[in-house]
Amino acid sequence: MASSIRAAAKVDWSKLTVSLGLKKETVAALQAFRKRNDEARRVVLALKEQKTDIDFEHYRSLLKNKGIVNEAEKALSSFKPVKTDLNAQMKIVEIIESKAVENAKKTVARVDDELKDLHSTLTNIEQTRPFEDITVEEIVKAKPEINDIVEKMVKRGQWGVPGYEEKFGYGS
Amino acid sequence: MPQLVPFYFVNQLSFGLILLSVLIYLASKRLLPQLLQRFISRIFITLA
Repeated sequence: MASSIRAAAKVDWSKLTVSLGLKKETVAALQAFRKRNDEARRVVLALKEQKTDIDFEHYRSLLKNKGIVNEAEKALSSFKPVKTDLNAQMKIVEIIESKAVENAKKTVARVDDELKDLHSTLTNIEQTRPFEDITVEEIVKAKPEINDIVEKMVKRGQWGVPGYEEKFGYGS
Repeated sequence: MPQLVPFYFVNQLSFGLILLSVLIYLASKRLLPQLLQRFISRIFITLA
């Protein structure tokens, strides 16, 4: 219990919600959980601060009716806290946990995909060839929309590209 | 000069027309589209 409280106190919430790139729903769930955690901690503290011992002798000296004080003392000594069945709540917690784990797995998968993309981009960048070695066929293969543009321009009878000669010089 | 002999006029005219139409066809279907494709590709790789 104490170790879990220490662990909870160490959690950097702002970093958790901002820097990890989590989904909106995950962030909302985390914030709701944090709110509940803070509230529970506050309630526990407030309850701990309350007095639990009663000075019955004081009341005996004050009240004329000693019987009622005795009865109250007996009731207090015979009081046993009611045990509540936490199974239902535990089930809810488990459901929430499974959802959180699922979301985390999804996030991991997404991050993995992004990493793969980035790696492939990196290898592409590393393996790029100089412009002089690239052929028109390769460019058209990589960008098939060039053919569509050419077809459209040919249909329109437009044989020049606007801005080409200004960019690369006349006759190049 | 045979070009100026009227006997060859029809022959010259027909061959001239055939050559001209073949040239126009080749230019519109192959040469100019290829050139345009090259221009657009160059713009694509420069802008990208």
